[in-house]
Amino acid sequence: MSDSTSQVADEQESLEAALKGEVLRMYQEVADNPELEFHFFHGREAAEMFGYSKEWLDRAPPGAVASFAGVGNPHERSYVQPGETVLDLGSGAGLDSIIASWQAGPTGAVMGVDLNPSMCLKAQAHAAASGTTMECHEGRMEEIPLHDEAVDLVISNGVINLSFQKRKVIQEIFRILKPGGRISFTDIVSAKQLSQAIVNDPKLWAS
Amino acid sequence: MFRLLEETGFKRVRSAVVSGFRFRNDSTRDAAESYGVKSVLITARKPGPK
Repeated sequence: MSDSTSQVADEQESLEAALKGEVLRMYQEVADNPELEFHFFHGREAAEMFGYSKEWLDRAPPGAVASFAGVGNPHERSYVQPGETVLDLGSGAGLDSIIASWQAGPTGAVMGVDLNPSMCLKAQAHAAASGTTMECHEGRMEEIPLHDEAVDLVISNGVINLSFQKRKVIQEIFRILKPGGRISFTDIVSAKQLSQAIVNDPKLWAS
Repeated sequence: MFRLLEETGFKRVRSAVVSGFRFRNDSTRDAAESYGVKSVLITARKPGPK
């Protein structure tokens, strides 16, 4: 590896580490202080904006609803069937996992993956409080801690855009899906290339 | 994202704009608009028998 290539790799690694720290900080803050105002809508207000049913929001634990920080409603076209195995990538406080779990039923299974181990614990507690279960794994979406062809469906809500390595994330999702498996996710996309100033600023990127 | 999914091997890649999505702050909203930032719902399928 040349010096310049090595320097670029080092800078990329440093940026990714800073981004990881900022993502952990921001979403932990939403979970710990849902009463605060953020630059994005969150909680019940956001979930209602995206068409989550009132029945779901009334039935889910208040903590899971209050900490919701998604950018849309992946359940709109997820069509979860009883008995299916579902992965919620970037499961956060667990609202989407809980909704998927209700649909998959007792013969199905819902797993979450989240960068933040305390969010995993929170999501599992919320699932238990809602009368269902989920198994949450601490891990990175670029290296999903599941074996090949493990799930029928991957849902995700506003998470993949946070990765610098989107191709790797998509390849990982492909790997862990069973043949014939499907994805339903909502995420942020940009029509134009983001400026280097945004790319180099973890606070802006994490937004 | 759409292209990445197809290049990875996903089939029946579909997307729809999430109509309700917006940022809370005017400044963030303006910056997002200038970059054409939007939220989309994406679905796709891995080839193979179900």
